[in-house]
Amino acid sequence: MSIPSLKLVELTKSYGKLTVVSGVSVAVDKGDFFSMVGPSGSGKTTILRMIAGLTTPDSGSILLDGKEISGLPPERRGLGLVFQNYAVFPHLNVYDNVAFGLKLRKVSKRDTQGQVHDLLTRVGLLGYEKKYPHQLSGGEKQRVALARAVVPNPKVLLLDEPLSALDKKLREEMKFWLRSFQVDLATTTIYVTHDQSEALSLSDQVLVLNAGRVEQVGSPQEIYESPTSMFVADFMGLTNCFPGTAEATDGNQVQVRLTIGLNVTATMRHKPFEIGQPVNVFVKPEVISLTPKAAAPTKTVNSFEGSILQRSYEGALLRYKALVGEEQIDIYAINTSENRFDEGSEVRICLAPEGVVVISADESERTVE
Amino acid sequence: MIRVSREKKTAFLAIPALVFFIFFFIVPIFTLLALAFNPKALGSIAIQPVFTLDNFKLFFSFPIYRQSLFNSLWLASAATAVCLLVGYPVAYTIARTPSKRVQAFLVILVFSSMQIDLTVRIFGYLTILGDNGLINGTLIRAGILSRRLPLMYNSFGAIVGLVNLSLPFLILPLIGIIESISPDLLNVARLLGCNRWKGFLKVELPLSLPGIITGVLFAFAISMSSYLIPVLLGGWGSAVLPVYVYQQISNQGLWQRGSAFAVVLLLTNLIVVFALIRYYSRAYTRRLMAA
Repeated sequence: MSIPSLKLVELTKSYGKLTVVSGVSVAVDKGDFFSMVGPSGSGKTTILRMIAGLTTPDSGSILLDGKEISGLPPERRGLGLVFQNYAVFPHLNVYDNVAFGLKLRKVSKRDTQGQVHDLLTRVGLLGYEKKYPHQLSGGEKQRVALARAVVPNPKVLLLDEPLSALDKKLREEMKFWLRSFQVDLATTTIYVTHDQSEALSLSDQVLVLNAGRVEQVGSPQEIYESPTSMFVADFMGLTNCFPGTAEATDGNQVQVRLTIGLNVTATMRHKPFEIGQPVNVFVKPEVISLTPKAAAPTKTVNSFEGSILQRSYEGALLRYKALVGEEQIDIYAINTSENRFDEGSEVRICLAPEGVVVISADESERTVE
Repeated sequence: MIRVSREKKTAFLAIPALVFFIFFFIVPIFTLLALAFNPKALGSIAIQPVFTLDNFKLFFSFPIYRQSLFNSLWLASAATAVCLLVGYPVAYTIARTPSKRVQAFLVILVFSSMQIDLTVRIFGYLTILGDNGLINGTLIRAGILSRRLPLMYNSFGAIVGLVNLSLPFLILPLIGIIESISPDLLNVARLLGCNRWKGFLKVELPLSLPGIITGVLFAFAISMSSYLIPVLLGGWGSAVLPVYVYQQISNQGLWQRGSAFAVVLLLTNLIVVFALIRYYSRAYTRRLMAA
């Protein structure tokens, strides 16, 4: 087994009585795009700053390529860092900004020119060498900051919400660009964000943080489709949560009796549930299909009758609030003619078992508290 | 259109200041300039319709006067340099103090010396720097020194006084500028391979240049035109130009010569100020645009 590029062991940091990072252990593989996601105050930026050497951990260790670095000053860690506010040096032009790290390493002028030229080509800023930061747009500054961090060939690249200061359209473009840039470089990257969709779309691995603790680590698919806790499910934008009890298990399927009186069948992902165990059921709004009530049910499992309470027209997407019994349920549907229903119309609501997530209620109590 | 009329409506608010400025600044400056080019007339401040450069010729032909200009320049430069060396670390510390309350307290502390009249402060220095003052008295009584240190009536005394006078004016603009430099810039520089000191030299120091120049400008102009401090703490050995301005007018009653000397002082000050401003504007445009 190869040594992970970066390993955090029981990392802890408190400010006074407030523990911001509590026993975080995680291993990041070489070349991975690793995201740390969580709401503000979850400790993600503090972890990043501890890796960078800008904040001293109270306890725990940080291993870079198997070597302890937590005692080293930031300049001797060999890491690259990009901040949310760009932090491009305003008194230096683009060339000098990008060449900053190379000049400190006493790289020859010719090599420096070559490497800066190469990086500026990659970030699409060739010909901008003589421009000063005040002449650049937000996106351009961000790419200068990225080129500057990458040019000394860091072992790990640390990105602290690098896209959040950009406007929405540019952010979407930069997201795709950043991912291909990172894949191209193959530099291990730690990405901090509070935006779960950014984390999901960019990463190889995602770490979900809650109040300084690790909630779940896994691939974007694992995190989104098989959240292990209420917190993760909630943070990943899963709505439609219903409490219930596990009634029966059959192979990899579990049947849950919801407190609202309905039976739901779901695919089991983690450990099996015991009969009678209290659980929470999440239904992803995008896996719910709608058909007119009059039409014959195509499936027998997870098929319910209901009515459309509210419709929100969002172009590509239609968002519904439907009423099943006494409960409201969110539904997202692609805007096609079959999926268009008026408010008040009676519908049949079908849930695909693989789109239903069941989480043990004991576990969820622990994390939600 | 609306904007123009609004400007017209508020323009009258500037009238009191304008009147004050014209009568107590513009008129005296022009009187000063006119007198400087008039032939000497004992005890008279009447402007004569005669143009002469005699007063200036006199100034530059006497070594003692030329020396006084040099003394002024040297004392002001030395005091400004000391101010910068002492003031920069203070400004930096205050600017990087995380607590706003502590910061405000420190700023008040910097300006506390200004609560006391200059003359009183100078006499305070006499008791500290004098031959039987705090420093000499203590050191001699303690047996550390056998002879008095010459702390007063020389350049040292004058510089101490000038630094005390102009230090707050150097520190204040610096605090604002250093505060505006994002700590993230230093952090990024650290990650790129700078140690703490190098990061300061390569990032924070160049970015604080506008503050340095503003502060130096204040400190220099204030020190250069100071009269009381060089006289009372510097003694006659290093008499500065304002001393001879005073002497010509008060002792000799020659307003014309005094005016010419004052014009020399004014022009020297202006040359230095403009040189700094030119440098400043270049450094500042870049800094401003970045914000």
